[in-house]
Amino acid sequence: MLTSVGRGLVSPAPVIHANGVAVRHIDADTPVPAGASLSVHPGEVVLLLGPSGSGKSTFALTLNGLIPHHLDAEVTGDVVIGDAAASASTVAELSSRVALVFQDPDAQIVTARVRDEVAFGPENLRVPLAEIATRVETALRRLDLWERRDDDPDILSGGGRQRLAIAAALAMGTPAIVLDEPTANLDPAGAAEVFAALRDLASAGDHAIVVIEHDLDELVEVAHRVVVLDATGRTVADGSVDDVLRARAAELDALGVWLPAVTLAALRLQRAGVPIERMPLTAAELRAAVAAAPPIDATADAPSSSAARTPADASTTAPAANAVEVSGLTLRHGRDEVLHDVSLTIAAGEFVAIVGPNGAGKTTLAQAIAGVRRTPRGTVHVRGADVARRRTTRRIGFVFQNPEHQFVAPTVREELAHSLRGRSAAEVAERVDAMLERFDLTAHATRHPFLLSGGQKRRLSVATALIEGADVLVLDEPTYGQDRARADELLRLLGDLHAQGTTVVVVTHDMQVVAEHAERVLVIERGRVIADASPAVLFADEPLVRRARLRVPPLRVAFADLPGQPALSGVMRLADLDAVRGTAVAG
Amino acid sequence: MTTATPIDASAPTVIRTRLGLDPLTLFAAVIPASIGLVFTRDLVVPLVFLGIGLALALIVSRVSARVLALLVLALPVAIVALALLFALWVDPATVADTRVAVGIAGRDLTVGALTVGAATALRLAAITALLFAAGSAADGPDLVRALVQHLRVPYRVGYAALAALRFVPRFARELDVIRRAHRVRDAAPPGPFTALARGFGYAVPLLAGAIRHAERVALAMDARAFGAHATRTEPRVARWHRLDTAVVAGGWVLTVAVFVVVAAS
Repeated sequence: MLTSVGRGLVSPAPVIHANGVAVRHIDADTPVPAGASLSVHPGEVVLLLGPSGSGKSTFALTLNGLIPHHLDAEVTGDVVIGDAAASASTVAELSSRVALVFQDPDAQIVTARVRDEVAFGPENLRVPLAEIATRVETALRRLDLWERRDDDPDILSGGGRQRLAIAAALAMGTPAIVLDEPTANLDPAGAAEVFAALRDLASAGDHAIVVIEHDLDELVEVAHRVVVLDATGRTVADGSVDDVLRARAAELDALGVWLPAVTLAALRLQRAGVPIERMPLTAAELRAAVAAAPPIDATADAPSSSAARTPADASTTAPAANAVEVSGLTLRHGRDEVLHDVSLTIAAGEFVAIVGPNGAGKTTLAQAIAGVRRTPRGTVHVRGADVARRRTTRRIGFVFQNPEHQFVAPTVREELAHSLRGRSAAEVAERVDAMLERFDLTAHATRHPFLLSGGQKRRLSVATALIEGADVLVLDEPTYGQDRARADELLRLLGDLHAQGTTVVVVTHDMQVVAEHAERVLVIERGRVIADASPAVLFADEPLVRRARLRVPPLRVAFADLPGQPALSGVMRLADLDAVRGTAVAG
Repeated sequence: MTTATPIDASAPTVIRTRLGLDPLTLFAAVIPASIGLVFTRDLVVPLVFLGIGLALALIVSRVSARVLALLVLALPVAIVALALLFALWVDPATVADTRVAVGIAGRDLTVGALTVGAATALRLAAITALLFAAGSAADGPDLVRALVQHLRVPYRVGYAALAALRFVPRFARELDVIRRAHRVRDAAPPGPFTALARGFGYAVPLLAGAIRHAERVALAMDARAFGAHATRTEPRVARWHRLDTAVVAGGWVLTVAVFVVVAAS
């Protein structure tokens, strides 16, 4: 892997060399990042990691001069691109040296045809037409989009649009490409497409590549080097995958860097006394490491993985009627039938995940359950009440993908009070105060909801959904496009609500969320429920997983049917590992 | 979905609309008529130009049957509605014919006011029809290229406008979601200002999303050297042909003829 890369005795000049880069935005007190350093040589693939808020994206923008040339900010430190300082180069020079690919494919596409999109950059660089034609064809063929060259980018899948953005970056003819979380907005199938494209690009070795990405499983094999920023945005590690990711995994975890689930699992096993010599980064490596370890015990009093999966919490609350009953629900959107004769029940206190390919009808089903979308009478009941008959039902709350969409008031306090109109002022004040306290928003009560941080907005949207006393909460892709820290914060919140008896229904693409939290999974495909099972049963059914374009969570891949380690078989949640002990210390 | 065309290598393609004209030709041809219409006061001139505009639109654009039906049904309704609106608006003291034609909304509408209203509505419809016809001949990017190349409009302005056009479907989707979200929360209390309040309530999240999206798009365009040079390579060039001059001249002659003939009769 590390062969043939210019890090021998005579290294060629780096394509990008950044040293002690600090960026202070005009309205900020402290610079973030505060001292980031990185250099990339021709043909090298560098993974840039760091906890959320460490300024990775800002740093990426300095690497081709967009900061400070296009965004006002105070930059200190050196960024040398090719043989010239970025600050002294023109934007035209910089954009023909370093190309950028951003997180949101929709925000990068500016033309109405695939090949025009790829040509857009070179046209701006005044490249002659004949050469543009060659570049466009080469780039589109590399990204497997040549057959789609006359299509409107809008009809490509999310993964297709992101591959188009990469093709457009290639066509810039730069020696270096920087990619900022290129899979964060994609479903598992789209992310897989982009990773395959990235691996091809990396193994071709004709570009220096910097990737910011939290899903490392697919990239560790092609990465030559890992650079890690700490919370303030200083480079604290720079070395090979082995030296940084493997040797310093525990340190990175403590720093808040998102590590692969299998690495987190290995760290837990290590703490439990299981000897693990080489820190695993992929499911296969974890599997090998655990298979080689002495037998692992499950402690007697801890719940086994299967027991943890039953709705134990629900039994502690009153075993009420079903929270949600759907019978024979068919919904049309225009001429298309979006849901076909769907019937299901969700028991009170359950944590249910709705999964399936894009466009399968997941969101429609969730909206129908929550009364957001009108349904025929008699098809959807929440706590025994027909959703269609009551104008709105107070027993169920819906959280939209983007929390901003549902904010209607000028302050956080009024936002919460809005749902309680018609009640006495004293009652409103009391319930709003309680909600502010519970969701840690008291300090922000007088702020405008739009001025909250992303995590606070999300908490406020959940609080508004619950304040009327709803005990069923439906969320549409709550972790989509969010960084790991924010997603984790929300998932902890949902876990707490669930433990207190709230029924939670989540539409999601995130298989680790399904594995960690859901008690039950509904798989939707083309408007029908094609499976209704526990995560353990679902992920064991490989044909179904493929058909629904899902992905088996890495822990399940690592531990499934592991010979010699019966205590681990079927484990797919990190929490399950708290119950195991290495025999070396168990006695 | 479409048949894949090979990328023509070295020579730029010359932009022609479906009628074999430059994208700006029809605009140049109808602009004197549109300006002239602003100053007319009678009913006949706008009616004639409305007819010309609609005929041109039918020839030039590939209108689907659905759009056509909509035009045939909705256009007269819109014109009548506008006519009544303007008739109510006009100051009754300023019109000549004060016979009462009809009582509407507690007011007597005079024949004079109705005539003014109808003329105004027809003028608007005629101007819209002419410009719609001219615009529907060319596709957006080619029109921008023609503006940049013939009229020296800075390309950054033209292409930024094009990129902004791509926001429209996105905003439509986003507005739909926002409306749903606000309906769930019973956002606007019932009352006479409900619609206004609701509209305002949608505007804040829509604008916040729009600004963020626009910033991201602008950054992505800058990253691809947009605006880095004063000019850019154009794969399609606008060329003014003798045919274009002829069509423009014809349009102007026809315009003058209509005004002169109507004035004389």
